[in-house]
Amino acid sequence: MTNGDDVVMITIRKRPWWFWALAELWLLLEVLLVQTALASARESEYRAAAISWIAAAILAAAGVFGWLRRRDSRKPIEANERS
Amino acid sequence: MEELRKPIGRRSLLKAGGFVAATGTLGWLGALVTGVGTGSNQRKRARWVKTVVRPTLGETNADYKRFSGFDMFALYRPLKTQHEGTGSFEAEQVSKAKRLIAWTNEKKPGFSLPDQKLSEGAWTVMRSSRPGTGLLSWTRTPGRTSTEPSAQRYTASPEEMANTVKAAARLYGARLVGIAPMNESYVNLQVPRQDEKEKDKDIVFEDVDVPEVTDTKFVIPRKMKWVVAIAIPMDIELLARTPTPLGDAASALGYSHSAFVVSSLAVFIRGLGYEAIPCVNDTAQSIPFALDAGIGELSRLNKLVTPEFGPAVRLCKVFTDLPMAYDKPVDFGLVEFCKTCKKCAEVCPSRALSFDDEPSFKTKGPWNNPGHKTWFEDSYKCFEYWQKSGSACGVCLASCPYTKGDQAWIHEGVKAIASIAPATDGVFRIMDNAFGYGKQHDPEQWWTKDQPSDRRG
Repeated sequence: MTNGDDVVMITIRKRPWWFWALAELWLLLEVLLVQTALASARESEYRAAAISWIAAAILAAAGVFGWLRRRDSRKPIEANERS
Repeated sequence: MEELRKPIGRRSLLKAGGFVAATGTLGWLGALVTGVGTGSNQRKRARWVKTVVRPTLGETNADYKRFSGFDMFALYRPLKTQHEGTGSFEAEQVSKAKRLIAWTNEKKPGFSLPDQKLSEGAWTVMRSSRPGTGLLSWTRTPGRTSTEPSAQRYTASPEEMANTVKAAARLYGARLVGIAPMNESYVNLQVPRQDEKEKDKDIVFEDVDVPEVTDTKFVIPRKMKWVVAIAIPMDIELLARTPTPLGDAASALGYSHSAFVVSSLAVFIRGLGYEAIPCVNDTAQSIPFALDAGIGELSRLNKLVTPEFGPAVRLCKVFTDLPMAYDKPVDFGLVEFCKTCKKCAEVCPSRALSFDDEPSFKTKGPWNNPGHKTWFEDSYKCFEYWQKSGSACGVCLASCPYTKGDQAWIHEGVKAIASIAPATDGVFRIMDNAFGYGKQHDPEQWWTKDQPSDRRG
């Protein structure tokens, strides 16, 4: 609970431009790998399909890990930065 | 109001620039891969397939002459006898027949009775088509009146004529069609006899109005200055089962489809009031015409490789006096890719393909036509392996990195990059192996798949 003297500061930070470029690239690769996996399975190229699924899973995990890591590593804005 | 307008910051500019660049790159890649319509009935070609003035490989020198017409089918027997003595060919055939019977009884995958009969069935149309007769008749179709003197001849601009003929060819089953100028040096000297009772017949060019087939010769009118070059894709699900009779059905079907397409197209052209000579593998070399017509490029296999179907195509052609606009040869970076790749030569069971880094004019035997630059193959070794394996082989066709199904988008992207950046060829070759492409598929599994194959067409 807070009393009237507490100050709650919410900081909203814009993501840097390169984040969006990276996210776009990541999404493009994910789509490409999943499409390759599905198409290769349809074409009876099972090894290609398996490798594509594995690569898609690794890329997905890397994306989630990177996103979480970036979230957790944000430092709170110190009082002396506020001015 | 001016005060409310925020100035555009560097960050916003960079973000907008990044978005535009990313969208532009995606759009460019999409356009490069999918290509644009040509406005004709030609199959849409990707932008990375560029037209050029001369074929990228296959240049000729003074030694280039009309080929005898005696290919490996005609030459194998005498060469076998020459190498291994009288009776060696016959002994080999007996041994092959016994082996095939044993494999049939054992139900060896790919050699079971249904596998063998599937191939035989697929050959039916081709085996009933002989140069100058039946489907491959050189003369006007009996009963058709449009070529009679009173009938009107269809006329249009050369471009419109080319479009019309390509549309018809595609309807009949051609997937790639191009128009090349007639080149007499690509036409064989003879049509070899098909059995002992017959004679070899000369192929000659004469100033006559209609093609003619006599007891001694085949006559091509000199006015036939146009060649419709056609590629029929092979079923790569079957081809992936080579070397077995099941795999051979892919070639058989390709040839039978070719016979159907060229004979239908010849009747169509005659119906428009012109002359037409339908040919499959006979009468002339299909590859140089296909090169000139922009169907594909010459490869390490010493065969044509198309951008769309790789080397897994069967070629055929129709000679005609119907005036059409010519197409141009193409370049999609294949020759440079072949210099690096060498996968076909490595997987060839008979070691018949060249490992040389560069193509040359050096032939390997009488089955090669000298005087043109390529990677010549040892067809004798290849045919000898066919006898041992009990079936025609097509491992080189199946293993080529350009032989792929058309469903995965990434393959188009890879081909597009290879066409403009030869430095990536080695990486793509390694990836092709790593992904397991080009390996033989289980023959038995073919019979349980949904038919027909949806990988091509």
